[in-house]
Amino acid sequence: MDFALSEEQKMFRIMFEDFSTNEIAPIAEEIDHEETPPLNVLRKAARQGFLGATLPEEYYGANLDFVSYALLIEALARDCVSIAVTLGTHVSLVAMSILSGGDDAQKEKFLPLLASGEALGAFAMTEPDAGSDTTSLETKAIPDGGEYVLNGVKTWVANGEIADAGMDTLFLAFAEAPEGITAFLIPADTAGLTVGYREPTLGLRSVPFHTVYLEGCRIPMANRLGGGGEGREIAERAHRRMAITLGAAALGVAEDSVDVAAQFATERVQFDVPIAEKQAIQNFIAESATEIEALRYLVYHGAWQVDHGDNSAFDASVVKAFSARVARCVTDRMVQVMGGYGYMEDYPMARKYRDARALGVMGGPTELHNVLIAQDVFSAWDVEITP
Amino acid sequence: MDFTFSPEHEALRRMIREFAENEVAPIAAEIDREGRVPFEVLHQMAEMGLLGVCFPQEYGGMGAGEAGYCILMEELGRICTSTATNVGAHIGIGAMTIYLDGNEEQKRKYLTPLARGEKFAAFLLTESDAGSDAAAIRTRAVRDGDHWVINGTKTFNTNGSFADIATVMAVTDPTLGARGGITAFIVETDTPGFEVGRHEDKMGIRGSSTAELVFEDMRVPHENVLGKVGEGFVAFMKSLDMGRLTLGAAGLGGAQAALDWSVQWARTREQFGVPLAQKQSVQWMIADMATEIEALRSLVYRVAWMVDTGQPFTQVAAMCKLYGSEVASRAIDRALQIHGGLGYSRDYPIERAFRDARIAEIFEGTNEIQRIVIASRIFREHGVRISP
Amino acid sequence: MRITVILRRVLDPAGIVAHRRLRRLFINREEYILQPADRCALEVALRIKDAGDAEVVVVSGQPEPSDDTLRRGLAMGADRAIYLCGESFDDADDAVVTSVLKTVIGQLGGADLVLAGATTLDTGQGQLGIRLAEALGWPQIVGVRSVEAKNGRLRAVCQDEEQFVLVESDLPAVVTVCPEAVKPRYADGVRLINVYRGQGEMAESLETWDVGDMMSADELVPLLESRGRDFPPERTLGERVEGTPDEVAQTIADALRQRLRG
Repeated sequence: MDFALSEEQKMFRIMFEDFSTNEIAPIAEEIDHEETPPLNVLRKAARQGFLGATLPEEYYGANLDFVSYALLIEALARDCVSIAVTLGTHVSLVAMSILSGGDDAQKEKFLPLLASGEALGAFAMTEPDAGSDTTSLETKAIPDGGEYVLNGVKTWVANGEIADAGMDTLFLAFAEAPEGITAFLIPADTAGLTVGYREPTLGLRSVPFHTVYLEGCRIPMANRLGGGGEGREIAERAHRRMAITLGAAALGVAEDSVDVAAQFATERVQFDVPIAEKQAIQNFIAESATEIEALRYLVYHGAWQVDHGDNSAFDASVVKAFSARVARCVTDRMVQVMGGYGYMEDYPMARKYRDARALGVMGGPTELHNVLIAQDVFSAWDVEITP
Repeated sequence: MDFTFSPEHEALRRMIREFAENEVAPIAAEIDREGRVPFEVLHQMAEMGLLGVCFPQEYGGMGAGEAGYCILMEELGRICTSTATNVGAHIGIGAMTIYLDGNEEQKRKYLTPLARGEKFAAFLLTESDAGSDAAAIRTRAVRDGDHWVINGTKTFNTNGSFADIATVMAVTDPTLGARGGITAFIVETDTPGFEVGRHEDKMGIRGSSTAELVFEDMRVPHENVLGKVGEGFVAFMKSLDMGRLTLGAAGLGGAQAALDWSVQWARTREQFGVPLAQKQSVQWMIADMATEIEALRSLVYRVAWMVDTGQPFTQVAAMCKLYGSEVASRAIDRALQIHGGLGYSRDYPIERAFRDARIAEIFEGTNEIQRIVIASRIFREHGVRISP
Repeated sequence: MRITVILRRVLDPAGIVAHRRLRRLFINREEYILQPADRCALEVALRIKDAGDAEVVVVSGQPEPSDDTLRRGLAMGADRAIYLCGESFDDADDAVVTSVLKTVIGQLGGADLVLAGATTLDTGQGQLGIRLAEALGWPQIVGVRSVEAKNGRLRAVCQDEEQFVLVESDLPAVVTVCPEAVKPRYADGVRLINVYRGQGEMAESLETWDVGDMMSADELVPLLESRGRDFPPERTLGERVEGTPDEVAQTIADALRQRLRG
């Protein structure tokens, strides 16, 4: 077992952190305040190859292994969780689903667009009555002469609309076809697809979460991803990748929170000493640092498993559940360390606190992941657990 | 032991609850969005006598005691933390300091209009280098004939930007520190030399005002010294103690709201073929919330009784603030978790409650300070002195 | 000017669930509220008092102590409260209540204006005001939205289906007020505390009158006897009738005749 990052990965990490410090840190507060998607940064990220991070070179991707990609997400999340989530949705949920589940024509058509940033991936699964429970979907896909006709409503679609010249949304949407849940690739300009309401959120305010309406939306067979009824498996694998991705984001936000708060603690003098000399503050820092270390190797290991085709539901859920908790607890403690300054929006901690809270409810709430973990544990004794 | 509320307190609670539901609830989201103080609500409360709920009727108050004040804060906390904050700063520390330490003249002149809600109050203590270490304040008051001249800057102040009357802590003898060097003053904010500085952009309680206040050669008459010169530290500690109890009450209200929302959602939202209420994870969260709320309720009203019957309450008031803020935070966090995406959306009140609740563990003395207060009382009985 | 306001309380409907299939009422939360229409009536009285010189007396009587209802009325601004009690009063129906109230008004030395809510949340019958006006022999103005009273005359605006009707009358009169006609004021906190503690100017304001002392047992015998409660049958799906208007009218008339016979 070799726990060290390779030389290449270490180099990548430095590169990612430089990018984040130079391009993202200066605008993080503004894009949260204005609730605007960071188009310029996304274009720059595209030029760096980040939007095709794990895609092979033949599709103009950067061909990164998943661990390096996790390092990228971690670095971005240090400065802005929103950008990490946008990128993660684009790569882990959409681009990699096409890579592993698409036919050659689809890969040749869509992957280069995603890698270059001409298309931004959005994942449309959730519905008003299908949050944690996506066993059956209301959105229907009826076959009709070589096409499918989709009708339904999708909610909380991340990256739903990043409207600007030169960047269109590509939806990966899931609907109930006669054969079962099926995945479809739908470019934003398809007739019958309307992007609607944007959800105002507590945090992740520069990720646009939209409601999307599908009304008589006709999809050619060529845009069906995988076979009829194979959508469930595609979504499964996408969610597992996303679990590791969000784990890396959790790691990034937790790490930076500790850095910011620890520095504050060394500068803030009360009762004649820096508060870093107070045991209560030390405990906050120590508990957080411990949790971050545990999370770090959990996430990197999870990423390594993805690279080795080994990423099981159990592994993904463990990472997701643990990382959400760590992000929440660490940011909460660091707000407390910073006191009143942790509550003011002109300091970064309040934003990190708001952003981190999302990780416990998006990508499946922790309670759901606990069920999946329990399912795996009890399966050894042939006891079946259902959510 | 009688654990029931008196009929007048029950009637008071019903009246306040109805008011909070009909007048405050409809504007709670709006004042958060717009970042404005709901003066229209505060004026209505003044008309009902609520802004002097705990002060004696002879000073224009309602005479409902600390129990009445806790009921007010609980019912407001249930509906809108911002409004509870505005009211709490006015009654619980602003006017309260005058009530606890003012002489007859001062009470008649300043407390009465505050109790009637004809004027608003603020309590000015915190500075940029004096947060938890309140004794480290630097605002200076220098005697000049029959006046004192005040210079300095107060930060992170609630109500200061619109209050008419403020109690200000200033250093009168820099050589003495907390014991003998700090004096409390009543100031009328329309006196020349008082400026409102920057307004803070807060994560939550955005329907309350948090601002910087600058004193520049402000002249305050000597009759406005509260208590004795040099005894300001003791005065403000007393006020803060009282304020802490009612923050626990506001936390109680907030936690109760979180529980109520969660029960309603769990009852109706179905996933995996059953309402969420059928899932043990959810049941456990609800049960834990409800249990903590019961414990907090008993704590808060028992301490209110202790105050109203003249018993010492510093340590237990700190416990109310500590426990109340944490119970509220845990409850609202669980509520957000139960509501999933809806709990994260600004179209629903849960995320606002989440943002609002976070400040309670920080202001009015951080929970770390509260723990120090509690521990130091405990160890003092055994002859060990603890300092922060 | 002397104004008497009748206050009644009712179980808070928000705490009751009617289960039609089981034909049962579940009282999940037993809390009483002041009838919204009566509260509006009191608000109307207080506004008249604000505009001129008037004394407002609130009257209430229920099987159980209704001191909260009356204390609330006092806290809102009423000057005096009369709580009517007595064993013989327990099973009173509308007829008995009417004659008791007539007696009470006499005992008070008369009134210039009697106000009550036009409907109640429990029975929804709205009989009280009308019966009382008949018993007193006074004009009755039912279902008003606003009232002005001065110098022995009153002007009221009633809502009659789609139109507003302005009514003028001599005093004394009985007026019933619609719920939601006006926004009732909140109680005054100081008055509230003083009413409950029986201190200050509110010390003597709540009086208890025993109905048995004022009236004979014969006068208190109810005319109605309650023999039980039941739910109306659940509505079934109706039948859609097609045809020309004449045909439809004929079909419906025949069906109704059929039902009446059956």
